[in-house]
Amino acid sequence: MKNSIYHTALFILLLASACTREYDDYPEPSETLAGNILDAASKKNVQSEAGDRGMRLVLEELSWSDTPTPYYFFAMQDGTFRNTKIFKGNYRISVEGPFVPLVQYDGSGNITVDKRKTMDIAGTSNVDFEVEPFLNVEWVGEPVYNSTDQTVSIQVRFTRGTANTGFHQNITDVFLFVSPNTYVGNNNYDNKYSAQVNYNGTDGNAQLGQTITITTKDRLPGKRTWYLRVGARVDYGLKYYNYTDIKPIIIP
Amino acid sequence: MKKILQLSIACMIGLAACTDLDIPPMNVIQDKDVFTTEGGIKIYMARCYSELPFEDFRYSPTRGTNHFWIINPTSANTGEALSRDLTSATAEQFNFWERAYPLIREANYFLQTLPEYANNFPEADVNHWLGEARFVRAVTYMALVKRYGGVPIVDKVLNYPEQSIEELKTPRASEEAVYDFIAADLDFAYNNMKETSELGRANKYAAAAFKSRAMLYAGSIAKYNQVQLFDGSQNRLCGIPAAKANTYFKAAHDAAMLLEGKYSLYKKTWAAGDKEAQMQNYINLFFDESSPENILIKGYKYPESVHGYDAYNVPRQLMGGNGYSSEVNPTLNLVELFDGFPKNADGTIMTLDASGKYILYDNLPDIFANAEPRLRATVIVPGDMFKNESIEIWRGIYTSSVAGGISRLLPEGSTAPYPSTNIVSSPNAQQTPYTLPNGDKMNPAGRSGVFTADGTCAVSGFSVRKYLVPDKPTAEVLENRADQTWIEMRYAEVLLNRAEAAYELHLAGQGGNYLQDAFTVINEIRERAGAGLLPSAAALDDITIVRNERRKELAFENKIWWDLKRWRILDKEQNGTVYRTLMPFYAAQAGKWFFDARPDERNARYTFDTRWYYQEIPGGEISKSQNLIQNPGY
Repeated sequence: MKNSIYHTALFILLLASACTREYDDYPEPSETLAGNILDAASKKNVQSEAGDRGMRLVLEELSWSDTPTPYYFFAMQDGTFRNTKIFKGNYRISVEGPFVPLVQYDGSGNITVDKRKTMDIAGTSNVDFEVEPFLNVEWVGEPVYNSTDQTVSIQVRFTRGTANTGFHQNITDVFLFVSPNTYVGNNNYDNKYSAQVNYNGTDGNAQLGQTITITTKDRLPGKRTWYLRVGARVDYGLKYYNYTDIKPIIIP
Repeated sequence: MKKILQLSIACMIGLAACTDLDIPPMNVIQDKDVFTTEGGIKIYMARCYSELPFEDFRYSPTRGTNHFWIINPTSANTGEALSRDLTSATAEQFNFWERAYPLIREANYFLQTLPEYANNFPEADVNHWLGEARFVRAVTYMALVKRYGGVPIVDKVLNYPEQSIEELKTPRASEEAVYDFIAADLDFAYNNMKETSELGRANKYAAAAFKSRAMLYAGSIAKYNQVQLFDGSQNRLCGIPAAKANTYFKAAHDAAMLLEGKYSLYKKTWAAGDKEAQMQNYINLFFDESSPENILIKGYKYPESVHGYDAYNVPRQLMGGNGYSSEVNPTLNLVELFDGFPKNADGTIMTLDASGKYILYDNLPDIFANAEPRLRATVIVPGDMFKNESIEIWRGIYTSSVAGGISRLLPEGSTAPYPSTNIVSSPNAQQTPYTLPNGDKMNPAGRSGVFTADGTCAVSGFSVRKYLVPDKPTAEVLENRADQTWIEMRYAEVLLNRAEAAYELHLAGQGGNYLQDAFTVINEIRERAGAGLLPSAAALDDITIVRNERRKELAFENKIWWDLKRWRILDKEQNGTVYRTLMPFYAAQAGKWFFDARPDERNARYTFDTRWYYQEIPGGEISKSQNLIQNPGY
């Protein structure tokens, strides 16, 4: 019995002495990086979806290494971003999303275009990126509620957002997303009501600049607000959608 | 105290007595034990083969290779089938990377060590084994590159701590370099291996067959891929320059030609014009150990090495003791690729007559009575015979009047549930029989489904037949009780590789004979299958003909997902897609059957994420080696 008390005491002593109370960590990251991702032509924010098929920031901290492992964080669906937990340092910053890439390569891997920004992040650093979206998707008029069959019809128009013909791929589809909350897009929609128009081959290109009417499927349950948004995309890379902004509609 | 003194003296004497303590431990098998006998080599290779990343009976996208539990079948991820337990497009959810490199190390260790012991064996044997190790390495790299694109090429044993950590952080090579590395390994294997080998081990023709597969993948990536990812030193980690496509297709075609005359399609019990014999022949092909079609197999043997294919996949009415069944239910989309049943102009199954009323059949299996034998050997259709039982699959009993014909139950393409007013159905296998107008009793659903609230049934209206042992007693239909052989590479695939490469070369304007070659090969496959033949080479006018032949011939062999990915069409096929099913109904008033083709009533929707063409490199691997660059979008 006595023995085991000694052993326990010794064990606790060992445990206690194994750690010193000295503060040996870096201070926690506290710098802020904030800004907007803007359409270079209209200077309006580029619309996207929340999460990993939307837009994201790529931070490469050059303070320590020339080839650092990138740190990613996502922009918000309205094209703004803000991260308040960044280590102080020198960074190369890029954004990825449904727009002409900031870094482009030729066929043999040489960088031909590089619009990344290298800057120090300290305190609150603001930076805006001007990009060329693949498509501009815009509302034409307001959504219309069809009370006879409880659907909503919308009109929309998409045009090329870039003059760079290297990014004039075929338009593959246009999608009216319907969701009961404001996070609406390809990441979050109700497939019972959302409607997709697919285009074969080059068929979609003929729709450029045309007004397209899309109607929701099935009967929308009433007495609530639905959030609508239209996305369209080109057959490029990871095929992310370009979006309109979000319009709520109250179904009586 | 005196004791301690004595003890230390004893210890000192003991120490002095040993002249050399630096000897290898006697209880661990040494290189000299393994690499000096044929038995040792066999043991070494047995381990390598058991680790080979085949997507076989023990593979599922959620749990990976060599896992006993395969209730999330691959075919439910490709549109081939619907399953209770996999209902949406899924990326692989296991870390394949960490499984591949240990095997590559084993192959490299073998390649490095065997030459030191070469004088123990005839030269031909040593060359064969070196070829075999290169084959193992190539197959492993193939499994890596088809998932991740370019990966680090490690062609020798890495040593830690002799080499520093920095030195060992091998960066990714370009995707092209990895395919070229695979080609070089397989060329070496082809040139150095013997013509024959024991069952389950590769020979030179297996190497050629795998080369045809690998080069076809590379050619497809070069032609169809759009994703590009470069590292800082101009290596293209994702994607291959389009200019290389023909080089790879040619290599695939040449490699496939090497097997001509060495293997053949299985036709032991095949008879011209006899559909029954052709169907039986096609079923037997998967169970005949001496099939001239088998190029590389993976054997199983109860109780040492087992799987549970039958237990998971038998029709519900033949369910075994573990309570599993019907995990793989072929979609109507797959069935419609085959021929021999009434079809509409657009290729979909014809269930309505000219006036838009359902076509009525006297017996449940009638609609597929003249179907292509390969379809019947691959899929159990409603009312089909299996294990001497009629497999009962129907969705419900239609109770309304049939005067003037039965109109569509739901509008075309509707995903809504069936109306309940004039249809009797059953939520599960505990059925309440319905009394027919003539007083007979009949279950609202077949004994194998379709039930409305229990997914353990033929949810698509079909059940899988391929690879199910036709005479296995139900008492043995258990998990870890099946031991049929997996055929990883059979000659039909080599022919299909050849046809596809030839057709791609023809499309690219590479000479005159390729179209004829593709045509001949497709018809060889179709003849054995009992399918309608292509009338002429000119009728082969679309790549989808070649691709669909592959989808039919290799259905449920866990290859199609990779094909759909390398063709880069999976994001278009699975774009909010609900797959089609065929629901049989019994019209009680008429005493006849009708069929309704509809989108999956469960509304299981598939959307393939375009990022998955290049899978995510596991974060843990990047933490270990920061030189690894992540694939786009992750």
